[in-house]
Amino acid sequence: MSTTAWITTLQFAGVNALFALSIYATLWTGVLSLAPIFFGAVGAFTFGYLAGTVGLSPFLGLVLGVVLGAALGALTAALVIRLDSHYLAMATIAMVLIGRVLVVNLTELTGGAAGTLVPGELGTWLWLIGCLVVAGYVLARLAKSRFGMAADAVREDAAVAQTLGISPRRIQLVGFVISGAFGGAAGVMQASFLQYIGPDTFYTHLGFVTLAAVVLGGAFHWAGPIVGAIVFTILPELLKDVMGEYDRVVTGVLLVVIIIFVPRGLVDLRRVRLLRARSRQDPPRAGDDSARPTAPQEVTA
Amino acid sequence: MSSPTRSAPDAGVVPDAGAPSAVSIVDLTKSFGGLKAVSEVTIQVPTRRIHGILGPNGAGKTTVLNMVSGFIQPDKGSISVFGDEVTGLSPHQIARHGVARTYQNIRLFAGMTVLETVAAGAYLKRSSTIPGAIFFSPSERRERREVRDRATDLLRQVGVRAEPDALAETLSYGDQRRVEIARALATEPRVLLLDEPTAGMNDAESHEIGELLLELRGSGLTLILIEHNMRLVEEFCESVSVMNSGAMLAQGAPSWCLEQDDVKEAYFGKRSDAARIATLRRARRGPGGS
Repeated sequence: MSTTAWITTLQFAGVNALFALSIYATLWTGVLSLAPIFFGAVGAFTFGYLAGTVGLSPFLGLVLGVVLGAALGALTAALVIRLDSHYLAMATIAMVLIGRVLVVNLTELTGGAAGTLVPGELGTWLWLIGCLVVAGYVLARLAKSRFGMAADAVREDAAVAQTLGISPRRIQLVGFVISGAFGGAAGVMQASFLQYIGPDTFYTHLGFVTLAAVVLGGAFHWAGPIVGAIVFTILPELLKDVMGEYDRVVTGVLLVVIIIFVPRGLVDLRRVRLLRARSRQDPPRAGDDSARPTAPQEVTA
Repeated sequence: MSSPTRSAPDAGVVPDAGAPSAVSIVDLTKSFGGLKAVSEVTIQVPTRRIHGILGPNGAGKTTVLNMVSGFIQPDKGSISVFGDEVTGLSPHQIARHGVARTYQNIRLFAGMTVLETVAAGAYLKRSSTIPGAIFFSPSERRERREVRDRATDLLRQVGVRAEPDALAETLSYGDQRRVEIARALATEPRVLLLDEPTAGMNDAESHEIGELLLELRGSGLTLILIEHNMRLVEEFCESVSVMNSGAMLAQGAPSWCLEQDDVKEAYFGKRSDAARIATLRRARRGPGGS
Protein backbone atom coordinates (compact mmCIF):
# COMPACT_ATOMS: atom_id res chain seq x y z
CA MET A 1 0.00 0.00 0.00
CA SER A 2 1.39 3.43 -0.92
CA THR A 3 1.94 6.17 1.65
CA THR A 4 -0.91 8.22 0.17
CA ALA A 5 -3.24 5.21 0.42
CA TRP A 6 -2.16 4.68 4.05
CA ILE A 7 -2.87 8.32 4.92
CA THR A 8 -6.30 8.19 3.27
CA THR A 9 -7.14 4.92 5.05
CA LEU A 10 -6.11 6.34 8.42
CA GLN A 11 -8.16 9.48 7.82
CA PHE A 12 -11.26 7.42 7.12
CA ALA A 13 -10.48 5.30 10.16
CA GLY A 14 -10.61 8.55 12.15
CA VAL A 15 -13.96 9.59 10.66
CA ASN A 16 -15.33 6.08 11.27
CA ALA A 17 -14.13 6.40 14.87
CA LEU A 18 -16.22 9.57 15.23
CA PHE A 19 -19.27 7.73 13.89
CA ALA A 20 -18.46 4.79 16.17
CA LEU A 21 -18.31 7.14 19.19
CA SER A 22 -21.70 8.46 18.13
CA ILE A 23 -23.12 4.91 18.13
CA TYR A 24 -21.38 4.27 21.47
CA ALA A 25 -23.10 7.29 23.06
CA THR A 26 -26.52 5.61 22.79
CA LEU A 27 -25.23 2.05 23.37
CA TRP A 28 -23.83 3.38 26.66
CA THR A 29 -27.44 3.93 27.76
CA GLY A 30 -28.56 0.53 26.48
CA VAL A 31 -29.93 1.66 23.11
CA LEU A 32 -28.75 0.27 19.77
CA SER A 33 -29.16 3.03 17.21
CA LEU A 34 -27.91 3.57 13.65
CA ALA A 35 -29.39 7.08 13.66
CA PRO A 36 -25.85 8.65 13.72
CA ILE A 37 -25.62 7.90 9.98
CA PHE A 38 -28.79 9.95 9.44
CA PHE A 39 -27.49 12.73 11.72
CA GLY A 40 -24.24 12.70 9.70
CA ALA A 41 -26.14 12.93 6.42
CA VAL A 42 -28.22 15.91 7.61
CA GLY A 43 -25.10 17.70 8.92
CA ALA A 44 -23.10 17.03 5.75
CA PHE A 45 -25.79 18.02 3.22
CA THR A 46 -26.75 21.12 5.20
CA PHE A 47 -23.09 22.13 5.31
CA GLY A 48 -22.72 21.44 1.58
CA TYR A 49 -25.83 23.44 0.71
CA LEU A 50 -25.04 26.45 2.92
CA ALA A 51 -21.37 26.52 1.87
CA GLY A 52 -22.46 26.55 -1.78
CA THR A 53 -25.26 29.12 -1.44
CA VAL A 54 -24.33 31.55 1.33
CA GLY A 55 -20.61 30.73 1.63
CA LEU A 56 -20.83 29.31 5.16
CA SER A 57 -17.35 29.00 6.64
CA PRO A 58 -16.12 25.43 7.33
CA PHE A 59 -15.79 26.05 11.09
CA LEU A 60 -19.37 27.34 11.29
CA GLY A 61 -20.37 24.34 9.17
CA LEU A 62 -18.88 22.03 11.79
CA VAL A 63 -20.60 23.90 14.63
CA LEU A 64 -23.87 23.76 12.68
CA GLY A 65 -23.39 20.01 12.16
CA VAL A 66 -22.96 19.52 15.92
CA VAL A 67 -25.97 21.68 16.87
CA LEU A 68 -28.22 20.25 14.17
CA GLY A 69 -27.19 16.71 15.09
CA ALA A 70 -27.87 17.30 18.79
CA ALA A 71 -31.31 18.78 18.03
CA LEU A 72 -32.14 15.86 15.75
CA GLY A 73 -30.91 13.48 18.46
CA ALA A 74 -33.37 14.99 20.94
CA LEU A 75 -36.18 14.85 18.37
CA THR A 76 -35.37 11.22 17.49
CA ALA A 77 -35.32 10.27 21.17
CA ALA A 78 -38.68 11.94 21.73
CA LEU A 79 -40.14 9.92 18.85
CA VAL A 80 -38.62 6.48 19.31
CA ILE A 81 -37.53 6.12 22.93
CA ARG A 82 -40.80 4.48 23.97
CA LEU A 83 -40.13 1.56 21.64
CA ASP A 84 -38.66 -1.68 22.94
CA SER A 85 -35.04 -2.56 22.15
CA HIS A 86 -35.15 -4.22 18.71
CA TYR A 87 -38.08 -2.11 17.47
CA LEU A 88 -36.09 0.98 18.42
CA ALA A 89 -33.07 -0.31 16.48
CA MET A 90 -35.30 -1.01 13.47
CA ALA A 91 -36.74 2.50 13.66
CA THR A 92 -33.24 4.01 13.48
CA ILE A 93 -32.33 1.76 10.53
CA ALA A 94 -35.50 3.07 8.87
CA MET A 95 -34.17 6.61 9.41
CA VAL A 96 -31.07 5.72 7.39
CA LEU A 97 -33.23 4.34 4.58
CA ILE A 98 -35.50 7.41 4.67
CA GLY A 99 -32.41 9.63 4.60
CA ARG A 100 -31.34 8.19 1.24
CA VAL A 101 -34.83 8.70 -0.21
CA LEU A 102 -34.75 12.33 0.96
CA VAL A 103 -31.29 12.89 -0.55
CA VAL A 104 -32.42 11.51 -3.90
CA ASN A 105 -35.66 13.52 -3.96
CA LEU A 106 -34.70 16.87 -2.43
CA THR A 107 -32.71 17.67 -5.58
CA GLU A 108 -32.44 21.42 -5.03
CA LEU A 109 -30.87 20.98 -1.60
CA THR A 110 -28.82 17.81 -2.03
CA GLY A 111 -28.08 17.56 -5.74
CA GLY A 112 -30.30 14.47 -5.96
CA ALA A 113 -28.85 11.28 -7.42
CA ALA A 114 -25.86 13.24 -8.77
CA GLY A 115 -24.86 14.41 -5.29
CA THR A 116 -23.12 17.65 -4.40
CA LEU A 117 -19.64 19.08 -3.89
CA VAL A 118 -18.47 20.11 -0.43
CA PRO A 119 -15.52 22.36 0.56
CA GLY A 120 -12.56 20.36 1.83
CA GLU A 121 -10.91 22.80 4.26
CA LEU A 122 -11.84 20.69 7.28
CA GLY A 123 -10.44 17.53 5.71
CA THR A 124 -7.11 17.77 7.53
CA TRP A 125 -5.39 15.79 10.27
CA LEU A 126 -5.62 18.76 12.60
CA TRP A 127 -9.41 19.01 12.44
CA LEU A 128 -9.86 15.24 12.52
CA ILE A 129 -7.65 14.69 15.56
CA GLY A 130 -9.18 17.79 17.18
CA CYS A 131 -12.69 16.36 16.78
CA LEU A 132 -11.62 12.95 18.11
CA VAL A 133 -9.83 14.47 21.10
CA VAL A 134 -12.86 16.62 22.00
CA ALA A 135 -15.27 13.64 21.62
CA GLY A 136 -12.98 11.34 23.63
CA TYR A 137 -12.47 14.01 26.30
CA VAL A 138 -16.21 14.61 26.68
CA LEU A 139 -16.93 10.88 27.06
CA ALA A 140 -14.00 10.34 29.44
CA ARG A 141 -15.13 13.25 31.65
CA LEU A 142 -18.71 11.98 31.65
CA ALA A 143 -17.64 8.43 32.57
CA LYS A 144 -17.75 8.87 36.37
CA SER A 145 -20.19 11.78 36.40
CA ARG A 146 -23.80 11.60 37.59
CA PHE A 147 -24.89 10.96 34.00
CA GLY A 148 -22.13 8.42 33.32
CA MET A 149 -22.85 6.28 36.38
CA ALA A 150 -26.57 6.39 35.57
CA ALA A 151 -25.89 5.42 31.93
CA ASP A 152 -23.82 2.42 33.12
CA ALA A 153 -26.62 1.40 35.47
CA VAL A 154 -29.34 1.73 32.80
CA ARG A 155 -27.28 -0.29 30.30
CA GLU A 156 -26.61 -3.10 32.79
CA ASP A 157 -30.07 -3.34 34.39
CA ALA A 158 -32.65 -0.66 33.60
CA ALA A 159 -35.14 -2.04 36.14
CA VAL A 160 -32.65 -1.87 39.03
CA ALA A 161 -31.50 1.56 37.84
CA GLN A 162 -35.08 2.78 38.19
CA THR A 163 -35.20 1.75 41.85
CA LEU A 164 -32.19 4.02 42.38
CA GLY A 165 -34.28 6.95 41.15
CA ILE A 166 -32.85 6.94 37.62
CA SER A 167 -35.27 7.54 34.75
CA PRO A 168 -33.95 5.39 31.86
CA ARG A 169 -35.74 7.48 29.22
CA ARG A 170 -34.20 10.69 30.50
CA ILE A 171 -30.72 9.15 30.43
CA GLN A 172 -31.33 7.70 26.96
CA LEU A 173 -32.52 11.11 25.73
CA VAL A 174 -29.19 12.63 26.83
CA GLY A 175 -27.41 9.72 25.12
CA PHE A 176 -29.23 10.55 21.87
CA VAL A 177 -28.30 14.24 22.12
CA ILE A 178 -24.60 13.39 22.56
CA SER A 179 -24.88 10.84 19.76
CA GLY A 180 -26.48 13.46 17.52
CA ALA A 181 -23.73 16.01 18.20
CA PHE A 182 -20.98 13.48 17.40
CA GLY A 183 -22.88 12.13 14.39
CA GLY A 184 -23.39 15.62 12.95
CA ALA A 185 -19.67 16.41 13.35
CA ALA A 186 -18.71 13.05 11.82
CA GLY A 187 -20.93 13.78 8.80
CA VAL A 188 -19.31 17.18 8.19
CA MET A 189 -15.83 15.63 8.55
CA GLN A 190 -16.70 12.75 6.20
CA ALA A 191 -18.00 15.25 3.62
CA SER A 192 -14.88 17.42 3.99
CA PHE A 193 -12.54 14.50 3.33
CA LEU A 194 -14.53 13.19 0.37
CA GLN A 195 -15.36 16.69 -0.97
CA TYR A 196 -18.28 15.05 -2.70
CA ILE A 197 -21.36 13.46 -1.12
CA GLY A 198 -24.18 11.53 -2.75
CA PRO A 199 -27.13 9.29 -1.85
CA ASP A 200 -24.86 6.34 -0.97
CA THR A 201 -22.33 8.24 1.17
CA PHE A 202 -24.40 7.95 4.34
CA TYR A 203 -26.12 4.65 3.86
CA THR A 204 -26.45 1.28 5.56
CA HIS A 205 -22.91 0.16 4.69
CA LEU A 206 -21.40 2.99 6.75
CA GLY A 207 -23.80 2.17 9.59
CA PHE A 208 -22.91 -1.51 9.70
CA VAL A 209 -19.16 -0.88 9.40
CA THR A 210 -19.18 1.56 12.32
CA LEU A 211 -21.46 -0.69 14.37
CA ALA A 212 -19.04 -3.58 13.72
CA ALA A 213 -16.20 -1.30 14.83
CA VAL A 214 -17.99 -0.68 18.16
CA VAL A 215 -18.58 -4.42 18.65
CA LEU A 216 -14.96 -5.20 17.80
CA GLY A 217 -13.46 -2.46 19.97
CA GLY A 218 -15.93 -2.76 22.80
CA ALA A 219 -19.07 -0.90 23.79
CA PHE A 220 -18.19 -0.65 27.48
CA HIS A 221 -15.47 2.00 27.37
CA TRP A 222 -15.17 5.11 25.23
CA ALA A 223 -11.76 3.97 23.90
CA GLY A 224 -13.33 0.80 22.47
CA PRO A 225 -15.03 2.39 19.44
CA ILE A 226 -11.85 4.29 18.52
CA VAL A 227 -9.70 1.13 18.66
CA GLY A 228 -12.41 -0.85 16.84
CA ALA A 229 -12.77 1.73 14.06
CA ILE A 230 -9.02 1.89 13.46
CA VAL A 231 -8.65 -1.93 13.39
CA PHE A 232 -11.78 -2.45 11.31
CA THR A 233 -10.79 0.18 8.72
CA ILE A 234 -7.12 -0.70 8.41
CA LEU A 235 -7.38 -4.50 8.51
CA PRO A 236 -9.36 -4.92 5.24
CA GLU A 237 -6.81 -2.70 3.46
CA LEU A 238 -3.93 -4.82 4.77
CA LEU A 239 -5.72 -8.04 3.91
CA LYS A 240 -6.55 -6.83 0.39
CA ASP A 241 -2.90 -7.27 -0.63
CA VAL A 242 -2.88 -10.89 0.58
CA MET A 243 -6.47 -12.07 0.22
CA GLY A 244 -7.66 -10.03 -2.76
CA GLU A 245 -11.45 -10.14 -2.98
CA TYR A 246 -11.71 -12.34 0.11
CA ASP A 247 -10.62 -9.62 2.56
CA ARG A 248 -14.21 -8.98 3.67
CA VAL A 249 -14.66 -12.68 4.42
CA VAL A 250 -11.67 -12.55 6.77
CA THR A 251 -12.88 -9.40 8.53
CA GLY A 252 -16.34 -10.98 8.87
CA VAL A 253 -14.85 -14.14 10.39
CA LEU A 254 -12.71 -11.99 12.70
CA LEU A 255 -15.83 -10.19 13.91
CA VAL A 256 -17.59 -13.50 14.63
CA VAL A 257 -14.52 -14.77 16.52
CA ILE A 258 -14.42 -11.57 18.59
CA ILE A 259 -18.15 -11.85 19.40
CA ILE A 260 -17.71 -15.48 20.52
CA PHE A 261 -14.46 -15.23 22.47
CA VAL A 262 -14.31 -11.56 23.54
CA PRO A 263 -17.99 -10.59 23.60
CA ARG A 264 -17.30 -7.28 25.34
CA GLY A 265 -14.76 -6.26 22.69
CA LEU A 266 -11.03 -5.58 22.66
CA VAL A 267 -11.18 -2.76 25.24
CA ASP A 268 -12.84 -4.31 28.27
CA LEU A 269 -12.24 -2.98 31.76
CA ARG A 270 -14.24 -5.85 33.27
CA ARG A 271 -11.79 -8.41 31.87
CA VAL A 272 -8.88 -6.49 33.40
CA ARG A 273 -10.67 -6.36 36.75
CA LEU A 274 -11.48 -10.08 36.62
CA LEU A 275 -7.83 -10.90 35.93
CA ARG A 276 -6.81 -8.67 38.83
CA ALA A 277 -9.33 -10.42 41.10
CA ARG A 278 -7.91 -13.81 40.08
CA SER A 279 -4.35 -12.69 40.76
CA ARG A 280 -5.49 -11.44 44.19
CA GLN A 281 -7.11 -14.79 44.97
CA ASP A 282 -3.89 -16.67 44.20
CA PRO A 283 -1.14 -14.51 45.71
CA PRO A 284 2.30 -16.15 45.89
CA ARG A 285 2.79 -17.24 49.48
CA ALA A 286 5.99 -16.53 51.37
CA GLY A 287 8.17 -19.62 51.53
CA ASP A 288 6.10 -21.41 48.90
CA ASP A 289 8.59 -22.88 46.43
CA SER A 290 5.93 -23.72 43.89
CA ALA A 291 5.10 -20.03 43.53
CA ARG A 292 8.67 -19.15 42.61
CA PRO A 293 9.95 -19.29 39.06
CA THR A 294 11.70 -22.56 38.50
CA ALA A 295 15.02 -22.70 36.72
CA PRO A 296 15.02 -24.89 33.56
CA GLN A 297 17.81 -27.18 34.81
CA GLU A 298 15.72 -28.03 37.93
CA VAL A 299 12.82 -29.14 35.75
CA THR A 300 14.90 -31.38 33.52
CA ALA A 301 17.03 -32.84 36.31
CA MET B 1 -62.78 -14.86 48.79
CA SER B 2 -59.88 -14.34 51.14
CA SER B 3 -60.09 -15.68 54.65
CA PRO B 4 -60.38 -13.16 57.47
CA THR B 5 -57.05 -11.88 58.78
CA ARG B 6 -56.18 -12.44 62.41
CA SER B 7 -54.40 -9.61 64.19
CA ALA B 8 -52.80 -9.68 67.59
CA PRO B 9 -54.15 -6.83 69.72
CA ASP B 10 -50.65 -5.90 70.95
CA ALA B 11 -48.91 -6.23 67.64
CA GLY B 12 -48.65 -2.55 66.89
CA VAL B 13 -49.62 -2.96 63.26
CA VAL B 14 -52.02 -0.03 63.57
CA PRO B 15 -50.06 3.24 63.49
CA ASP B 16 -50.32 5.95 66.11
CA ALA B 17 -53.32 8.23 65.68
CA GLY B 18 -52.41 11.31 63.67
CA ALA B 19 -49.03 9.99 62.54
CA PRO B 20 -49.06 8.58 59.00
CA SER B 21 -47.72 5.07 58.47
CA ALA B 22 -44.36 4.83 56.78
CA VAL B 23 -45.97 2.42 54.33
CA SER B 24 -49.70 1.96 54.01
CA ILE B 25 -50.95 -0.85 51.79
CA VAL B 26 -54.73 -1.08 51.48
CA ASP B 27 -56.71 -3.84 49.74
CA LEU B 28 -53.89 -4.59 47.33
CA THR B 29 -54.89 -7.08 44.64
CA LYS B 30 -52.97 -8.48 41.69
CA SER B 31 -53.80 -11.29 39.26
CA PHE B 32 -51.62 -12.86 36.57
CA GLY B 33 -54.04 -14.35 34.07
CA GLY B 34 -56.26 -16.65 36.07
CA LEU B 35 -53.95 -16.72 39.09
CA LYS B 36 -54.71 -14.34 41.94
CA ALA B 37 -51.20 -13.67 43.22
CA VAL B 38 -52.23 -11.11 45.85
CA SER B 39 -55.76 -10.75 47.15
CA GLU B 40 -57.01 -7.75 49.15
CA VAL B 41 -53.90 -7.45 51.26
CA THR B 42 -53.71 -4.64 53.81
CA ILE B 43 -50.52 -3.85 55.71
CA GLN B 44 -49.73 -0.77 57.80
CA VAL B 45 -46.11 -0.31 58.75
CA PRO B 46 -45.39 2.47 61.27
CA THR B 47 -42.20 4.50 61.01
CA ARG B 48 -38.97 3.10 62.47
CA ARG B 49 -40.27 -0.43 62.40
CA ILE B 50 -38.71 -3.68 61.24
CA HIS B 51 -41.64 -5.47 59.65
CA GLY B 52 -41.42 -8.96 58.22
CA ILE B 53 -43.55 -10.46 55.47
CA LEU B 54 -43.67 -14.22 55.87
CA GLY B 55 -45.24 -17.10 54.06
CA PRO B 56 -44.42 -20.23 52.10
CA ASN B 57 -43.23 -20.11 48.48
CA GLY B 58 -45.89 -18.70 46.17
CA ALA B 59 -47.61 -16.79 48.98
CA GLY B 60 -47.35 -13.50 47.06
CA LYS B 61 -44.73 -11.82 49.27
CA THR B 62 -42.41 -10.71 46.47
CA THR B 63 -45.41 -9.58 44.40
CA VAL B 64 -46.36 -7.24 47.26
CA LEU B 65 -42.81 -5.89 47.40
CA ASN B 66 -42.75 -5.49 43.61
CA MET B 67 -45.97 -3.47 43.78
CA VAL B 68 -44.66 -1.24 46.58
CA SER B 69 -41.50 -0.50 44.58
CA GLY B 70 -43.46 0.06 41.35
CA PHE B 71 -42.20 -2.93 39.37
CA ILE B 72 -45.75 -4.26 39.08
CA GLN B 73 -48.89 -2.17 38.98
CA PRO B 74 -51.72 -3.44 41.21
CA ASP B 75 -55.14 -4.28 39.76
CA LYS B 76 -56.82 -2.80 42.82
CA GLY B 77 -55.93 -1.13 46.09
CA SER B 78 -53.60 1.66 47.07
CA ILE B 79 -50.09 2.16 48.38
CA SER B 80 -48.88 5.27 50.15
CA VAL B 81 -45.50 6.18 51.59
CA PHE B 82 -45.48 8.65 54.49
CA GLY B 83 -48.96 9.77 53.43
CA ASP B 84 -48.05 10.28 49.74
CA GLU B 85 -50.03 8.13 47.32
CA VAL B 86 -47.56 6.21 45.12
CA THR B 87 -49.96 3.75 43.46
CA GLY B 88 -49.36 3.68 39.71
CA LEU B 89 -46.06 5.56 39.84
CA SER B 90 -43.01 4.16 38.06
CA PRO B 91 -40.12 2.73 40.13
CA HIS B 92 -37.90 5.81 39.69
CA GLN B 93 -40.70 8.08 40.91
CA ILE B 94 -41.30 5.84 43.92
CA ALA B 95 -37.56 5.87 44.65
CA ARG B 96 -37.82 9.67 44.84
CA HIS B 97 -40.37 9.19 47.64
CA GLY B 98 -37.63 7.49 49.64
CA VAL B 99 -38.22 3.81 48.86
CA ALA B 100 -35.20 1.61 48.09
CA ARG B 101 -34.95 -2.14 47.72
CA THR B 102 -32.82 -5.24 47.33
CA TYR B 103 -33.64 -8.39 45.41
CA GLN B 104 -34.26 -12.07 46.06
CA ASN B 105 -31.75 -12.92 43.31
CA ILE B 106 -28.81 -10.55 43.69
CA ARG B 107 -28.80 -7.96 40.90
CA LEU B 108 -25.47 -6.14 40.83
CA PHE B 109 -24.25 -4.21 37.78
CA ALA B 110 -21.85 -6.31 35.69
CA GLY B 111 -18.37 -4.88 35.31
CA MET B 112 -18.66 -2.38 38.19
CA THR B 113 -16.37 -2.36 41.18
CA VAL B 114 -17.75 -2.49 44.71
CA LEU B 115 -17.28 1.27 45.14
CA GLU B 116 -18.81 2.11 41.73
CA THR B 117 -21.84 -0.07 42.49
CA VAL B 118 -22.58 1.85 45.68
CA ALA B 119 -21.75 5.19 44.05
CA ALA B 120 -24.32 4.44 41.32
CA GLY B 121 -26.92 4.40 44.09
CA ALA B 122 -26.11 8.02 44.94
CA TYR B 123 -27.73 9.33 41.72
CA LEU B 124 -30.54 11.15 43.53
CA LYS B 125 -28.10 12.79 45.91
CA ARG B 126 -25.91 14.20 43.13
CA SER B 127 -26.72 17.47 41.46
CA SER B 128 -23.89 18.00 38.98
CA THR B 129 -24.72 18.89 35.39
CA ILE B 130 -23.24 17.62 32.13
CA PRO B 131 -21.34 20.89 31.43
CA GLY B 132 -20.05 20.76 35.01
CA ALA B 133 -18.78 17.22 34.45
CA ILE B 134 -17.19 18.06 31.07
CA PHE B 135 -15.34 21.09 32.42
CA PHE B 136 -14.63 19.26 35.68
CA SER B 137 -15.91 22.17 37.77
CA PRO B 138 -14.97 22.51 41.47
CA SER B 139 -18.51 21.43 42.47
CA GLU B 140 -18.17 18.33 40.28
CA ARG B 141 -14.84 17.44 41.89
CA ARG B 142 -16.26 18.03 45.38
CA GLU B 143 -19.32 15.92 44.59
CA ARG B 144 -17.22 13.01 43.28
CA ARG B 145 -15.11 13.11 46.44
CA GLU B 146 -18.22 13.18 48.65
CA VAL B 147 -19.84 10.28 46.77
CA ARG B 148 -16.65 8.22 47.09
CA ASP B 149 -16.37 8.95 50.82
CA ARG B 150 -20.05 8.22 51.42
CA ALA B 151 -19.83 4.93 49.49
CA THR B 152 -16.76 3.93 51.52
CA ASP B 153 -18.61 4.69 54.76
CA LEU B 154 -21.64 2.68 53.66
CA LEU B 155 -19.49 -0.30 52.72
CA ARG B 156 -17.92 -0.16 56.16
CA GLN B 157 -21.35 0.17 57.80
CA VAL B 158 -22.81 -2.90 56.06
CA GLY B 159 -19.64 -4.89 56.78
CA VAL B 160 -18.21 -5.50 53.32
CA ARG B 161 -14.71 -6.79 53.84
CA ALA B 162 -13.61 -6.80 50.18
CA GLU B 163 -11.43 -4.14 48.57
CA PRO B 164 -13.50 -1.21 47.21
CA ASP B 165 -11.88 -1.60 43.78
CA ALA B 166 -12.72 -5.31 43.54
CA LEU B 167 -15.21 -6.36 40.89
CA ALA B 168 -18.53 -6.63 42.78
CA GLU B 169 -19.59 -9.81 40.99
CA THR B 170 -16.46 -11.64 42.21
CA LEU B 171 -17.30 -11.20 45.91
CA SER B 172 -18.66 -13.91 48.16
CA TYR B 173 -22.43 -14.36 48.18
CA GLY B 174 -22.79 -12.69 51.57
CA ASP B 175 -20.68 -9.70 50.56
CA GLN B 176 -22.66 -9.29 47.32
CA ARG B 177 -25.84 -9.09 49.41
CA ARG B 178 -24.21 -6.46 51.62
CA VAL B 179 -23.09 -4.44 48.60
CA GLU B 180 -26.67 -4.54 47.33
CA ILE B 181 -27.87 -3.19 50.70
CA ALA B 182 -25.18 -0.47 50.61
CA ARG B 183 -26.28 0.53 47.08
CA ALA B 184 -29.88 0.83 48.28
CA LEU B 185 -28.74 2.86 51.32
CA ALA B 186 -26.82 5.22 49.02
CA THR B 187 -30.18 6.55 47.82
CA GLU B 188 -30.70 7.71 51.44
CA PRO B 189 -34.10 6.06 51.67
CA ARG B 190 -36.76 6.40 54.33
CA VAL B 191 -38.11 2.92 53.63
CA LEU B 192 -35.91 -0.07 52.76
CA LEU B 193 -37.47 -3.18 51.22
CA LEU B 194 -35.35 -6.31 51.57
CA ASP B 195 -36.22 -9.50 49.71
CA GLU B 196 -34.65 -12.41 51.62
CA PRO B 197 -31.56 -10.47 52.76
CA THR B 198 -30.00 -13.48 54.50
CA ALA B 199 -30.63 -16.09 51.80
CA GLY B 200 -27.53 -18.26 51.46
CA MET B 201 -25.91 -16.90 54.63
CA ASN B 202 -24.87 -18.94 57.67
CA ASP B 203 -26.23 -18.22 61.18
CA ALA B 204 -23.41 -15.85 62.13
CA GLU B 205 -23.73 -13.83 58.93
CA SER B 206 -27.53 -13.73 59.28
CA HIS B 207 -27.15 -12.43 62.81
CA GLU B 208 -24.81 -9.68 61.54
CA ILE B 209 -27.48 -8.66 59.03
CA GLY B 210 -30.03 -8.62 61.87
CA GLU B 211 -27.77 -6.31 63.88
CA LEU B 212 -27.40 -4.09 60.82
CA LEU B 213 -31.19 -3.89 60.50
CA LEU B 214 -31.43 -2.72 64.11
CA GLU B 215 -28.74 -0.12 63.47
CA LEU B 216 -30.57 1.14 60.38
CA ARG B 217 -33.86 1.32 62.23
CA GLY B 218 -32.06 3.27 64.93
CA SER B 219 -30.98 5.80 62.33
CA GLY B 220 -34.63 6.41 61.41
CA LEU B 221 -35.24 3.92 58.63
CA THR B 222 -38.37 1.80 58.26
CA LEU B 223 -37.57 -1.72 57.06
CA ILE B 224 -39.82 -4.27 55.41
CA LEU B 225 -38.28 -7.63 54.77
CA ILE B 226 -39.29 -10.93 53.30
CA GLU B 227 -37.54 -13.63 55.26
CA HIS B 228 -37.60 -17.39 55.70
CA ASN B 229 -35.15 -17.47 58.60
CA MET B 230 -37.60 -17.70 61.52
CA ARG B 231 -34.90 -17.27 64.15
CA LEU B 232 -33.96 -13.93 62.56
CA VAL B 233 -37.61 -12.90 62.28
CA GLU B 234 -38.36 -13.67 65.90
CA GLU B 235 -35.22 -11.91 67.12
CA PHE B 236 -35.28 -8.76 65.01
CA CYS B 237 -38.77 -8.12 63.55
CA GLU B 238 -41.18 -6.15 65.71
CA SER B 239 -44.19 -7.13 63.65
CA VAL B 240 -44.96 -9.49 60.81
CA SER B 241 -47.59 -10.17 58.18
CA VAL B 242 -48.05 -13.82 57.23
CA MET B 243 -49.38 -14.56 53.76
CA ASN B 244 -50.49 -17.72 52.02
CA SER B 245 -51.78 -18.17 48.46
CA GLY B 246 -51.97 -14.41 47.99
CA ALA B 247 -54.11 -13.75 51.07
CA MET B 248 -53.22 -12.40 54.48
CA LEU B 249 -53.32 -15.04 57.20
CA ALA B 250 -52.23 -13.17 60.31
CA GLN B 251 -50.56 -9.94 61.39
CA GLY B 252 -48.96 -9.05 64.65
CA ALA B 253 -45.98 -9.87 66.83
CA PRO B 254 -43.82 -12.63 65.33
CA SER B 255 -44.16 -15.03 68.28
CA TRP B 256 -47.96 -14.65 68.29
CA CYS B 257 -48.30 -15.08 64.51
CA LEU B 258 -46.10 -18.16 64.37
CA GLU B 259 -48.26 -19.85 67.02
CA GLN B 260 -51.45 -19.51 64.97
CA ASP B 261 -52.84 -22.76 63.56
CA ASP B 262 -53.44 -21.15 60.12
CA VAL B 263 -49.82 -20.14 59.94
CA LYS B 264 -48.51 -23.54 61.06
CA GLU B 265 -50.76 -25.18 58.49
CA ALA B 266 -49.50 -22.90 55.72
CA TYR B 267 -45.91 -23.80 56.54
CA PHE B 268 -46.14 -27.45 57.57
CA GLY B 269 -49.47 -28.65 56.10
CA LYS B 270 -52.57 -29.92 57.93
CA ARG B 271 -52.24 -32.32 60.83
CA SER B 272 -54.40 -34.80 58.90
CA ASP B 273 -52.04 -34.47 55.87
CA ALA B 274 -49.08 -35.25 58.08
CA ALA B 275 -50.84 -38.34 59.45
CA ARG B 276 -51.70 -39.51 55.92
CA ILE B 277 -48.07 -39.06 54.78
CA ALA B 278 -46.82 -41.03 57.78
CA THR B 279 -49.27 -43.89 56.97
CA LEU B 280 -48.14 -43.94 53.32
CA ARG B 281 -44.49 -44.07 54.39
CA ARG B 282 -45.19 -46.97 56.71
CA ALA B 283 -47.09 -48.78 53.93
CA ARG B 284 -44.18 -48.30 51.49
CA ARG B 285 -41.70 -49.75 53.95
CA GLY B 286 -43.84 -52.89 54.18
CA PRO B 287 -44.59 -55.09 57.19
CA GLY B 288 -40.90 -55.60 57.96
CA GLY B 289 -40.01 -51.90 57.78
CA SER B 290 -39.05 -50.05 60.89
